[in-house]
Amino acid sequence: MPHEEALLAQRIQTGDREALGELYDQYASVALAVALRIVADRGQAEDLVHDSFVTVWEKIDRYDSARGSLRSWVLTIVRNRSIDRVRATRPGIEIGEADAQSLLQTDTNPTWDAAVARLGSAELRAAMATLPDEQREAIELAYFGGHTYREIAGIKGIAEGTANGRLRLGLAKLRSSLRLTDAAPGSGGTDQ
Amino acid sequence: MSEQMSHELVDELAAAFALGALDADEARAVAEHLASCQEPHDEARAALGASLALAMSLERVEPSAGLRDRLMQTVERTPQPWLAAAPAPLQERPARARGWRDRLLPRLMVPLAAVAAVAVIALGVLNLNLQSQLADRDRALRAVADAIASGQAAFRVEGQDGRGYVVDTAGSGSTLVVADLTSLPADKLYELWLLDAAGTPVAVGTFRPSATEPAVVHVEKDLTGYTTFAVTVESQRVDSPTLPNGADSLVMVGAVGS
Repeated sequence: MPHEEALLAQRIQTGDREALGELYDQYASVALAVALRIVADRGQAEDLVHDSFVTVWEKIDRYDSARGSLRSWVLTIVRNRSIDRVRATRPGIEIGEADAQSLLQTDTNPTWDAAVARLGSAELRAAMATLPDEQREAIELAYFGGHTYREIAGIKGIAEGTANGRLRLGLAKLRSSLRLTDAAPGSGGTDQ
Repeated sequence: MSEQMSHELVDELAAAFALGALDADEARAVAEHLASCQEPHDEARAALGASLALAMSLERVEPSAGLRDRLMQTVERTPQPWLAAAPAPLQERPARARGWRDRLLPRLMVPLAAVAAVAVIALGVLNLNLQSQLADRDRALRAVADAIASGQAAFRVEGQDGRGYVVDTAGSGSTLVVADLTSLPADKLYELWLLDAAGTPVAVGTFRPSATEPAVVHVEKDLTGYTTFAVTVESQRVDSPTLPNGADSLVMVGAVGS
């Protein structure tokens, strides 16, 4: 998959529109799920997916396959642009900054990649469900709500260190949970 | 800010970084630290990539039927800056019943027609000031610029590990000039290949790039009779009737010849 993605990125960089179409076919439904979860409006979500893939087309030269998967980069662009949209009524990052952050946040590691490759969305959701409520809520406020850990502290009325700690512990537990699920016999899942 | 961020603080903030829950300055500082730090930062690196699992945990939502068409229409009128500067349009290569090369070369730059413009692009991409360069590398780069300016053909080669140009200095071989090549571990090297229209590869040299300068590699063969230039990563120089490891080790490729 990584090599195929690298070649797909290379084709897009040489101006191959069909390659971008292939990328869209692979990830548009996930991208739309992310955007819809964040903005909760189908029309806006589709606009964001459209704009995000145009961004991929325009900035593919900045993508570095050594730092992470093309899928991660695409979904991070979608997420950051969606967050920017819902932040329109409060201080937030602008589009250029959102795209720059997408490049920063693309790093990945084999644990997550392996879990995502093996498990379907239902299994990943089940792993999320194993988290204590306060940790899951903090993670969702961060990733889907676009809040910094400082903002989460304010929202929940807790210390900044506590908010940051919930993110750390939550991810650690989620990672551990995915490992266990990964090792379970017959744990292969299906995408939904 | 990155210089002020301690290892401990990077570890503390890594989960928030992975979830996009840091201010922009903090995120940049963490990214720069992790990119350059020699410490393992196991816990921090373990958090990276978590956002992918969160995104993939959502039930997929199929886009409306028209969204793909709308995207394709937008893309059709949206230039890619690095290609928009090139004077020659993209053209499909003639169809051949060949293997890996045709899968990798759906569209590639054809010989650049406006030689003067090619020189500007090449030098722009490489961000070089030839007049200020010294010693052997300077002479090599000047030779490339002179070759372009004197009407020799230049062909773009690119891939996941770098981009550059091959200049056909007809009668005296060819020269690869490439920037941004990924540094290789000590047991690896880059190998250069020319392929003819039948897809037969010929190994034409090896090199290891400098970490700080563009690579300038002279190849004894000129490009006459060849259609493709490729660069692979190998453990040692190999001469093979087929590219070793198929396309797995391919890092750059470009169409050559008119």
